[in-house]
Amino acid sequence: MNRKFVMAHAWLTGGAALRSNWLYMVTGMGFPLSLLFIVGVLSEGSLLPYALAGGLISIVASNGIYTMADLGMFKFEYMFKDLIVTTRTSPMDYMFGVMLADFFWSIPSIVLYFVLDIVFHILTPYAFVMTIIVAALVLLATASLGFVLTSLVRHQRFVWAITAMLSLTMMVFPPTFYPYTYLPRDVLWAIAISPTTPAAVLEQGFFGIGPMMWSMLGVLVAETVILFLIAKYLTVWRER
Amino acid sequence: MIEADGLRKRYKDGTVALKRVSFRLDKKISAIIGRNGAGKTTLMRILSTQMMPTSGSATINGLDVIKQADEIRKIAVSIPQEARPVDYMPAVDCVKLYLAARGFGSKQAKVSAEKALRTVGLGDSMDKIAYELSGGMKRKVFVAMAIASNADVIFLDEPTTGLDPFSRVEVWSAIRAIKGQVILTTHYMEEAQALSNDVLMIEAGKIFAQGTVDQLLRPFNGLVRVESQRKKGTAYKVGSTWVSYVKKGMAKSLVGKDDIIKPVTLDDLFIKRGVNLES
Repeated sequence: MNRKFVMAHAWLTGGAALRSNWLYMVTGMGFPLSLLFIVGVLSEGSLLPYALAGGLISIVASNGIYTMADLGMFKFEYMFKDLIVTTRTSPMDYMFGVMLADFFWSIPSIVLYFVLDIVFHILTPYAFVMTIIVAALVLLATASLGFVLTSLVRHQRFVWAITAMLSLTMMVFPPTFYPYTYLPRDVLWAIAISPTTPAAVLEQGFFGIGPMMWSMLGVLVAETVILFLIAKYLTVWRER
Repeated sequence: MIEADGLRKRYKDGTVALKRVSFRLDKKISAIIGRNGAGKTTLMRILSTQMMPTSGSATINGLDVIKQADEIRKIAVSIPQEARPVDYMPAVDCVKLYLAARGFGSKQAKVSAEKALRTVGLGDSMDKIAYELSGGMKRKVFVAMAIASNADVIFLDEPTTGLDPFSRVEVWSAIRAIKGQVILTTHYMEEAQALSNDVLMIEAGKIFAQGTVDQLLRPFNGLVRVESQRKKGTAYKVGSTWVSYVKKGMAKSLVGKDDIIKPVTLDDLFIKRGVNLES
């Protein structure tokens, strides 16, 4: 692995760039915070703990979706991918670099959510640790999915269309802002195809606001591994 | 040294971009000239290991582009056509990031990036965000990447397309500062004439001429180009204009008052083949 590139990419296009582009960071907070507000108001506060627990997953998933959008920009607008293919950097180095750069942009939102979790007394040390693990899995799964899809599309406009669809399927339908027990079991398993569903179910268990469903951990790990392997072996890097 | 033997590329849609081309490039700066769609970029992408050929073989300093791509990537740099620095990053960070991709450590990357940016005349602008740079400056950022990488072979795909004449001259000057062997594509004949020691002329996926500018223009020795609105003798049509060639000394007596006399350039090799460069 070219760690120098991964760290340089993460820092130069993420951490360092954040200072001069802070407005994007605020924009990134917009969607999860808007849903949090709507859910809080409509449920008169009763679903707020669910929205707070699931909101973290939503932010991490949107991070993965942004990774796809960025990969599209780097491929089609800057021709950066073409530049990188002819270096000693592997596709996985590239994916991790972009993923971690986008993660930098999400850190303020994640911190804000953890602060809100503390304010509303739902965060425990156990929930904190387990949230980090689940979030890391969701991040890897969504970034892998975005990486494969970007390598297959031929124009940036397809990237925007796919990211819009992914936002719906990963952040609105899954129980990231409402109790998963509202859903019939069949529906729950059907939408478990999105990694955010098992992640949200697990989060509700870790935060003690829903029954623990450990089988979803197996689903999340399996999805992450499969998506990562697909990204590693099926991504089009050198054109044929 | 770059050698190609029977390189062919057929895309999935059936387009044959390269038709078994063979050549050798061993001069300091070589130019591959052809109009849009001639196959220049496909050739560059294959040679720089971005793309696999359908058949045939090629080597870069003895390394096979198909089997030894990883080795080639250590010694060769490729700057794609239309590449742009990442808008929200300073120029120096763009170069540092590229050098990190090539395996440079952060300190080494910083020193090399700053030195290269000074070499191409961006010493005062290296901390500017890329979107604040002019078109010429943006292209020079990529030339700085090539210089800083210290590679043996550098591929530049249309490095000055879309730039104003002044910026082009600036980029040419930066290209001359590159130490390794440079292979550039262009459809500007004057660019090839100004920069290269060797010219490869490509049309419809085939190479039809190769040599120094002097060698290629030898068939036109003592001739000038006459552009006219009416056909006179042996003439070639370019758009609505007829082009013919007459001896220098006879030009004034042969041509009409509305005709235009121009010196012969590499354009004329295409014109004589019936290729309309404007199309």
